[in-house]
Amino acid sequence: MIRPEPARRSRVNPKVLVVGLVVALPLLAVLVANLGRDPHSVRSPLVGRPAPAFSLVPVGGGAPVALEKVKGKPVVINFWATWCVPCFEEHAALTAAARGLPDVQFLGIVYEDEETRTQEFLRQRPSAYPSLFDPEGKAAIAYGVFGVPETFFIDGSGRIVDKYVGPMTRSTIAALVARAKEGAR
Amino acid sequence: MVPILGRILILMALLAASAGALLGFATGMRPNAAGWKWARRLAYAFAAFMVLANLTMEYALLTHDFSVSYVAHVGSRQVPTWVSIVSLWSSLEGSILFWGLVMGVYVAVATWRNADKHPEYMPYAVGVWLACGAFFSFLLAGPAQPFATVPNPAMDGPGPNPLLQNHYLMVIHPPFLYSGYVGMTIPFGLACAALLVGRLGNDFIRPLRNFLLFSWIFLTCAIVLGGWWAYEVLGWGGYWAWDPVENASFLPWLTATAALHSALLVERKGVLKGWTTILVLATYLLTILGTFMTRSGVFNSVHSFTQSAIGPTILVFLAAGLLFSLVLLALRVDSLGAEGRLETGPSRDVMFLVQNLLFVLFTFTVLLGTVFPLVVEAVRGVQMSVGRPYFDRMSVPIGVVLLFVMGVGPALPWGRATGQQMRSALLPPLLSASLLAVAGLLLGVRNPWTLLALFFGGFTAQVTLSEMFLPVRQRMRSHGERFVEAFRQAQVRGRRRFGSYVVHAGAILAITSIAVSSTMGSSKEVQLNQGASSTLGPYTLTFVNAEQVREPHRVSVQARVDVSKNGRSLGALYPRMSHYENQREPIGSPAVRSSLTEDLYLSIHNIDSDSVGLLVLINPMVSWIWIATAIMALGGLVALVPSMRRMAMTASAPVPPAPVAIEGSR
Repeated sequence: MIRPEPARRSRVNPKVLVVGLVVALPLLAVLVANLGRDPHSVRSPLVGRPAPAFSLVPVGGGAPVALEKVKGKPVVINFWATWCVPCFEEHAALTAAARGLPDVQFLGIVYEDEETRTQEFLRQRPSAYPSLFDPEGKAAIAYGVFGVPETFFIDGSGRIVDKYVGPMTRSTIAALVARAKEGAR
Repeated sequence: MVPILGRILILMALLAASAGALLGFATGMRPNAAGWKWARRLAYAFAAFMVLANLTMEYALLTHDFSVSYVAHVGSRQVPTWVSIVSLWSSLEGSILFWGLVMGVYVAVATWRNADKHPEYMPYAVGVWLACGAFFSFLLAGPAQPFATVPNPAMDGPGPNPLLQNHYLMVIHPPFLYSGYVGMTIPFGLACAALLVGRLGNDFIRPLRNFLLFSWIFLTCAIVLGGWWAYEVLGWGGYWAWDPVENASFLPWLTATAALHSALLVERKGVLKGWTTILVLATYLLTILGTFMTRSGVFNSVHSFTQSAIGPTILVFLAAGLLFSLVLLALRVDSLGAEGRLETGPSRDVMFLVQNLLFVLFTFTVLLGTVFPLVVEAVRGVQMSVGRPYFDRMSVPIGVVLLFVMGVGPALPWGRATGQQMRSALLPPLLSASLLAVAGLLLGVRNPWTLLALFFGGFTAQVTLSEMFLPVRQRMRSHGERFVEAFRQAQVRGRRRFGSYVVHAGAILAITSIAVSSTMGSSKEVQLNQGASSTLGPYTLTFVNAEQVREPHRVSVQARVDVSKNGRSLGALYPRMSHYENQREPIGSPAVRSSLTEDLYLSIHNIDSDSVGLLVLINPMVSWIWIATAIMALGGLVALVPSMRRMAMTASAPVPPAPVAIEGSR
């Protein structure tokens, strides 16, 4: 400690130190223990259950895509919208992951958005997997989507293994896909 | 270009602050004129770079330069210009940048005002301020970088959080809050300097107290402005919810209020020096804790910033600050010593102590309630929240007792009071106390706590008013002056004392209004079809129609509700629901008809073209909370101004110490 000359006495006051530490240390410990916790995340009751079925038309038209059809390999379902900034942020990571993981089926489901805007978005930023249009929001309701982006990881047997809320990076996608693959075994 | 300029300015601020901090400490240890001069220059440089960095960001926001990451994050071409300007503090990185601006200004002003005073202390103080400044510059240079370059900038951005665009109060609340929060850095640095030097003299407690009071005024206003904003915007009808972020601003306010009072004892009696420094240090650390709470994403709150990576960095700073403060206090608190002795019998002195202990108890109570959910989560992995019942149950008794202490303290004389003095001081105010309580009873107050608040409010009001004008009455009697002249003369000598009692008067009004408004209201939820009416108390509400209002940044549906009271028409109220471009959920804006006695508050639950679901509340006396706060702030300013003038005077010419003993004496 710095000791300028005029200090009268410089003995340690143990009371102040002990009381201070008794207050400060538990407080810091609690804050450290909670770092990285998201208070908004509530564990989805769907985790561990079979993924709700759906059959939806891709953005821009075409034959409906049903979850049934892609059974057998892990599926990643990403709920997104053009008005959602985090979705925009994670778009590149998802596309890259889909390209790098051909044995995993990626699906986007558009949440509360207009089809023309979605088409425009996908024209500007091509995606490596189909995005499906959910006009009445039935799929979103079935999956209990609270806000976008939310991403569900489904194993080969059609069981939801994990749900992720918020924008994802390539490493989070890789880690969660790995768990979905394990779940299939 | 702009992002690079911004980053350079931040780096220069970081450099100036780090170098200045080191130089400040070095000069504190081995005093030399050149070192002190350079430490000052670096403090000014830090301030200048922060100001320039903020101007750069404003320029980027106004020119919609989406190559700046922060602008890409919160900017939009759709929003009005004022929204672009205030976007500076609408999101995490910008708010830290703004923090840097406020801090720079504070540090520069505090350095400038004390440039040739307190030569022993000031280098240390500048060292501590700039060390804090270096930390915030570091945040801006790395973890919370607002000036990152966006490689392929978009043509437009999402715009700031719609809640910020929804009400003008959100424009003034953050600057007040930051002026209060960041301002606590100055007393912190001064208290650290006193500890480092090992002495807290009467000359040095004054700048400490003044900066503390200055920041306290802002913090007081900010807390209430936040409540007012919640009341006018969030639509649940209340102004305070004990939300972690609200508590974050309340905690340092509590310790700062305690410190302001104990500082008076330091000044008058030379006692409680160590205790006062503890409170000042705690106040600053609580502002950092508050910063962590709002920005780490750990606390569940309506108005915290989103999850961010700066949580761990702030936590490291908090831990370092705590450790530094504890070691410093443990080593030095005894060396501050005491020049006098505190009375132990019934006296004003002891009431100061009681007041201080109550405020500290209040602080711990709120802190415990705020972090308790985190403890449970960490230990048991269960999510829970500590709701209003805990906070209300704990804070109501403390608040009511504080109200009483605020009356008893000033009524008692300094030093030990005799039985006769006690009786003559404490019996007369019982008159106003009983009058107010009986008036409350007659007006229908039945809640025992509210009645008690009215009783003590009356007691304290009588003491406060008679103390406030005591010097005036004395002058009128002894000098035979008329009221106006006596008042003016009393102001010249005892303005600080007068200001303090004005603050007390505001506080009495605030506490009683809060007690009445939170227990005497009534509410009702109604679903009205077009043309249908409903009544609550004396009011009749008729849903006339719903219409759409289009503005560039939002589309709103507003309900026209005609209001009449006791059959007399009061015109229409227009509560609304607004949809913002980038927001999924609509945001309701309640309509409030305020009067001095009560507010009629309408908030929309749901609306379509021919039906509306309304929450209707009658909130009595809410306006008085805002008025009371204005009185408190005004009183604070009245108490502050003469000290500032005196400081300016002593800065220009060495004047003998001001007659402090006159102030506050009976």
